[in-house]
Amino acid sequence: MATNERPEAHSLGDRVYDALFHNYVWRSIFRSGYPNTPRNQMLVVATNVFLHLHPTRIHRTHVKITHTYCLGGLSFFLFLGLTITGVLLMFYYVPSVERAYEDILRLETDVRFGILMRNLHRWMAHGMVITVLMHMMRVFYMGAYKPPREFNWVVGVVLLVLTLLLSFTGYLLPWDQLAFWAITVGTNMVGSAPILGEPNRFALIGGFEVGPNALIRFYTLHVIGLPLLAATFMAVHFWRIRRDGGLARPL
Amino acid sequence: MVTNAQENAVSPAVRARARRDRDEELLVWPDLVFIEFISAVLFTVTLTMLSIAINAPLLDRANPAVTPNPSKAPWYFLNLQELLLHMHPALAGVIVPTVALIALGAIPYFDQSNEGQGEWLSTPNAWKLTWIGSIVGTVVTLLLVLWDGSKHVVLWAMVTGNAESDWPKFLDWTRGARALQDNLPWPEALRNIPLGSKVLRTDLLGLPPIDLNVDIAAVMVEQLIPTGLMIGLPVLLSLVLHKTGIAQTRRDHMIAQFAGFIAVFVVLTLLGTAFRGQGMELLWPWEVKPPVS
Ligand code: HEM
Repeated sequence: MATNERPEAHSLGDRVYDALFHNYVWRSIFRSGYPNTPRNQMLVVATNVFLHLHPTRIHRTHVKITHTYCLGGLSFFLFLGLTITGVLLMFYYVPSVERAYEDILRLETDVRFGILMRNLHRWMAHGMVITVLMHMMRVFYMGAYKPPREFNWVVGVVLLVLTLLLSFTGYLLPWDQLAFWAITVGTNMVGSAPILGEPNRFALIGGFEVGPNALIRFYTLHVIGLPLLAATFMAVHFWRIRRDGGLARPL
Repeated sequence: MVTNAQENAVSPAVRARARRDRDEELLVWPDLVFIEFISAVLFTVTLTMLSIAINAPLLDRANPAVTPNPSKAPWYFLNLQELLLHMHPALAGVIVPTVALIALGAIPYFDQSNEGQGEWLSTPNAWKLTWIGSIVGTVVTLLLVLWDGSKHVVLWAMVTGNAESDWPKFLDWTRGARALQDNLPWPEALRNIPLGSKVLRTDLLGLPPIDLNVDIAAVMVEQLIPTGLMIGLPVLLSLVLHKTGIAQTRRDHMIAQFAGFIAVFVVLTLLGTAFRGQGMELLWPWEVKPPVS
């Protein structure tokens, strides 16, 4: 492998560096050497599962900030941030009508950095709705939905819906007046659909009114169902970008 | 030799793939990874500062017995809640968003050309069409909402010094959408057509029966007129753009329609968020008071 392309180490610094980064354990984790040669730079992207979401090379114009404004990437970044802060919030939150509101209060007053976690989760959620909408606009105005990317645009629309649903299901969880009535108004809209509206609303909130059943349904969807779906569709979305030959370019 | 059949087995989409020119390419590490890293850091810092500065709202414990006035959905659904004020709830809450999402997903199948791909607004009239779509969408939506809120009567009263109740009797039906239903002399026979539960046989699906009593005036105002406007106005826009030659290709029409859609979406969201006070009344943002229970 391309790990040991350095000349013999002589100075103390070099020897310490070698001991730290060229030892057996380190190399078992990172297969490429330090990415300071083109070869290692490509290897680091190709052999690291996280960096592997990328191709190893991209077109010159696509790294300009004004090409994407990083909007898709930021949506993904916010999704990751929401997952991390969300897991931390789950440590303190029990989705029962008796405890939910009190748990949020306690999170804000008794838990170190609890209020920061909650604020971050909240603002990232709003932020993600905005970045996803703006990402959609950039893709549209760049004509990046055109062949062969038609289906990836559809995957994107699914992701938009999932993003909205994730945000909406999370909105109920604090179980305060804002949450309760926003979800009541929102699910009433579903209930107004012709014929199938009422049954659908009933299935969504587990009853005729928002109550304990709605809370546990929204919670389950919010912390496991929808995130799994979203992650799956994001995987398809990113895979498709690679398969479609990277980002769109003028033909 | 590649036969036609073999050729067609590959979708045109895949065949249209752009060729890679290697000498125009950069390495992802460091050029892209660096940008991603910097923007992730910037965003983390900004969001953390925001979260230190502003707390997420937390009101009183949920109380099903106390309805705040107004009760609003999350902001990204306030566009639909705004529509709800002007038309039948099934239309505003379910049919419009469903159709809008399907239409959004269908864009690439409607416009399959490659023109203007991969560059910002690069077709000849792209900017112009964006402006036209946005302005038309904004102005028309605002006018319709203001009209339905009887704001033309308010304006008339202000300009002429009359009271709003002095609005001429014979023009009472122009006060807003509801007025069309209430203040026009609809024949009594059309007001209540009892179709009973034998028309929509929902019982066959095991669902509760629907007793249909059709009020033609209500159907007109709540369903037909809004549907007509929501389909007719975009069609009209495209017709005008086509006749004047400003929009020539499908991409051109898509740009105008998309810009219009975004404008309507933004205007409705803003109206619902900042301009609706108690009783969902249309107010200036500084007049809107926090909800009361
Ligand atoms: C959770 C939501 C989403 C995430 C995380 C996401 C992520 C990304 C990323 C990272 C890219 C690479 C380029 C860029 O950053 O712009 C991308 C490209 C793309 N996205 Fe999304 N996206 C999301 C939603 C959407 C939506 C709502 C649409 C459209 C309706 C969409 C359509 C596309 C298309 C067509 C491309 C290819 C663009 C090109 O070739 O230039 N995506 N997406």
